[in-house]
Amino acid sequence: MRPGVEESTPRVEVDLVAAHGLAALVTLLASVAFGVIAAIELLFPDLFGGVPWLSWGRVRYAHTQGVIFGWLGNVFFAFLYHAVPILSGRSVTSALAGRWLFALWNLAVMVPGWILVLAGVSQPLEWAEFPLVIDAFVVAGLALAAVQFVPPFFRRGVESLYVSSWYVIGGLVFTLLAYPMGNFLPEIVPGARGAALSGLWIHDAIGLFVTPLALAIIYYVIPASSGRPIYSHFLSMLGFWLLFFVYPLNGTHHYVYSVIPMAAQVGAIVASTILGIDVVLVVTNLLLSMRGSGVFPTDVGLRFVATGTVFYLLVSIQGAVQAQMAVNRAVHFTDWVVGHSHLAMLGFATFAGAGGLVHVWERLPHVRFNARACHWSYWLLFAGVTMMVVDLTVAGLVESDAWQSGVPWIESVRAARPYWLIRAYSAIPIIGGFVALLIGLTTGPRRDMQADREDAVDVRGAGRLMPRVAPDVAEPT
Amino acid sequence: MSVSTGRALRMAYLVAGVAGLGFFVLSVVLLGYWPGRVLEEQTRRMSPGKPLDLSASERRGRDVYAREGCAYCHTQQIRYLEADIARFGAPTLAWETQFDYPHLWGTRRIGPDLSRAAGTRSADWHYLHLYSPRVLVPDSVMPAYRSLFDGAPDRPRLEARDLVAYLETLGRNRELAGPEGESYAREACDCPDDHMAHMALSVTPVNGHPARARRDAAYPQLPAGTDLERGMALFAVNCAGCHGPRGAGDGPGAKALLPRPTNLAQHRYASDRLSEVLWNGSAGTAMSAWRDRPLPELGAIAAAVQSLSIAEPDTPPSAEIAALGTLVYEANCAQCHGVDGDGRGPTAPELVVAPTDFRRQQPTLAASVRALREGVGGTRMGVWSDRLASDELLAVAHYVRTFYRESR
Repeated sequence: MRPGVEESTPRVEVDLVAAHGLAALVTLLASVAFGVIAAIELLFPDLFGGVPWLSWGRVRYAHTQGVIFGWLGNVFFAFLYHAVPILSGRSVTSALAGRWLFALWNLAVMVPGWILVLAGVSQPLEWAEFPLVIDAFVVAGLALAAVQFVPPFFRRGVESLYVSSWYVIGGLVFTLLAYPMGNFLPEIVPGARGAALSGLWIHDAIGLFVTPLALAIIYYVIPASSGRPIYSHFLSMLGFWLLFFVYPLNGTHHYVYSVIPMAAQVGAIVASTILGIDVVLVVTNLLLSMRGSGVFPTDVGLRFVATGTVFYLLVSIQGAVQAQMAVNRAVHFTDWVVGHSHLAMLGFATFAGAGGLVHVWERLPHVRFNARACHWSYWLLFAGVTMMVVDLTVAGLVESDAWQSGVPWIESVRAARPYWLIRAYSAIPIIGGFVALLIGLTTGPRRDMQADREDAVDVRGAGRLMPRVAPDVAEPT
Repeated sequence: MSVSTGRALRMAYLVAGVAGLGFFVLSVVLLGYWPGRVLEEQTRRMSPGKPLDLSASERRGRDVYAREGCAYCHTQQIRYLEADIARFGAPTLAWETQFDYPHLWGTRRIGPDLSRAAGTRSADWHYLHLYSPRVLVPDSVMPAYRSLFDGAPDRPRLEARDLVAYLETLGRNRELAGPEGESYAREACDCPDDHMAHMALSVTPVNGHPARARRDAAYPQLPAGTDLERGMALFAVNCAGCHGPRGAGDGPGAKALLPRPTNLAQHRYASDRLSEVLWNGSAGTAMSAWRDRPLPELGAIAAAVQSLSIAEPDTPPSAEIAALGTLVYEANCAQCHGVDGDGRGPTAPELVVAPTDFRRQQPTLAASVRALREGVGGTRMGVWSDRLASDELLAVAHYVRTFYRESR
């Protein structure tokens, strides 16, 4: 151990890892169910006979909020309870606060949020659909998460932080700043002015919450699983800071050709281009770190993460391209963009999250683990997300073509129908993949029966990972 | 690690951390606050007169629109692009959005943009469309909002009425401002080099919706439809929901609409009349315009409508009946329908629904009698059986049929 590290044993809050992990899986399946209902309703709009709480708009609200806060929020927290003590050499701030955070996030945000949205109490802003009363609990939860996970890094000393730690700090701090901007301000700033702020939040929700925490997982799991250090810490840090500088400046690209001043639109498009280049840098570094592990590594957690990295590259290049005015004018408002969001959330973030969860689970005492089911999960999800994104991308081009050609509007709906059918079918491998993930993490042999009775695991054991996670942390080059 | 390296790294990270916060603040200032200032200034300068804020009912309707996620399929933002302008009308200006708390711009269009929904459809059309969208648009994927109604499309609850009231506010202020408002905004904008502003302010009409009914507007003559089969297929998809499969005015949506959909089978139509009504719709009724359809399709539909007519061969009324009919007509009907039966009597312009032009549209005798006996609900055509003797009523029913000119 490097000098200055306390000798006291950092604790991994095993119960909280398991609790958030299971909550992540449950909220994931619910969120997917909402998405599938919405997908099927596009084909059979009268399926539920006009029951208001199952109508398309409301389940669509429930779907996105469930994915970002239920599934990804919980999976990030599960990962952080495992990784923060190892990365920082310190316990998280408080196990008691952890129980409060779990209760707050799931019982004061997710459950009532969904109930309210389905009952018709909501906010019509993208990625901000839970009503204001829930927003207050989200902010409290994010603040609690920052208090829980950020101080251990500062107690350790920032000069020796591994890049994952930076992403954790950045993600938690900046989300706390961005969330109120996207959720509260448009309520008091009207119309086009409010839309300018919404555009920022739509992007920040992905860029400052989902992306940093997903990258924290990827940067962690690759060295921890492969046993090889990250290719270049310099590139890691360069990528990190560039991302945090450039990401917030992207938001206005959601409203290209709108009344929002053209200078702001062009600025955001330039930033989007720079971001695309930055991601190429980040992903190059990550893929070089994977040399020797193969394209589809045998370790299923690592394989999820590796594929998530490739999806990250694809979705970011796609994002930079579709922000360009010539492309944006054609694909904006179409299913192309819906495909793009699913490549980001279901491809990149979910693969990173699932990889992180599997990685953590394999190292968790007294839980069951079924590797075979996890392999199934990987291939089913890979097939499902590929099918869905390719299908929606083509659908977007078909819709765009119909719109440009001036045929009656309904022709674009008619033309999209076969693609919506394929999209609905893509739900089969996707649901299968997630059920397999649930089976993978709840069945199979129990691990480490010795530790079964312990509440927390001695991180010195896990601490052996440290030099592998950040081998040259102690001696930066 | 040496102490000085550690300190240097700490400093570097401190600087980077501050810079990171700085960039976040920069993003909010450059892409949130500054555009907000520009848009606020534009709004202040370019708002013509005093734009109407939403009434209590419209505001409640907006809440319904928001909670049902309407904005996830219908944008409220016409982009500064030819394709958007051609389809929906003038691009959205900042001042038009000044009462939107929060904005409902949306980022996906499954259904059409609604920025210019005001004055595009009749209230009945909206109610029927909300209650059972596929009656009007068979391929629509819109959810049916049954819970806004008391069991039938013509029994809207308060929420449905509020929602439709809200839809009628979309684009209302810009239209109310009229051409004067546009030129006011052009001058106030003071932006000779702003390509986008010019694009937004040079679109006429502001509402370019192809379904919007227009009265007394120009229309092309439809090509004579030859493919009757295709015409009937198009009729079945687009028209039968209201007019019924055989054009008897008894489609599944008919009961919800006032005036009721015309019984096409009971009328003979001149091609000119069908050209006009298909191209311009019928203002004041649920009959939309179909200007987004290719002319050959409309021609085929027109041919199908003509083929549905069950009008009997014409037997001219006796001279006696004709004389009585003339007398009654000129005393009672010419005010609206015109002396020549062309629907252009002196009071016609005052009427929301244009009086029938008998020269281009001939009812069967039965239909004519029924209209006189029962009136035409939803129009100013009242009940005449209590004002005319039965021989007078029959005579005038005969008489109005004599105006019809096939060639028109």
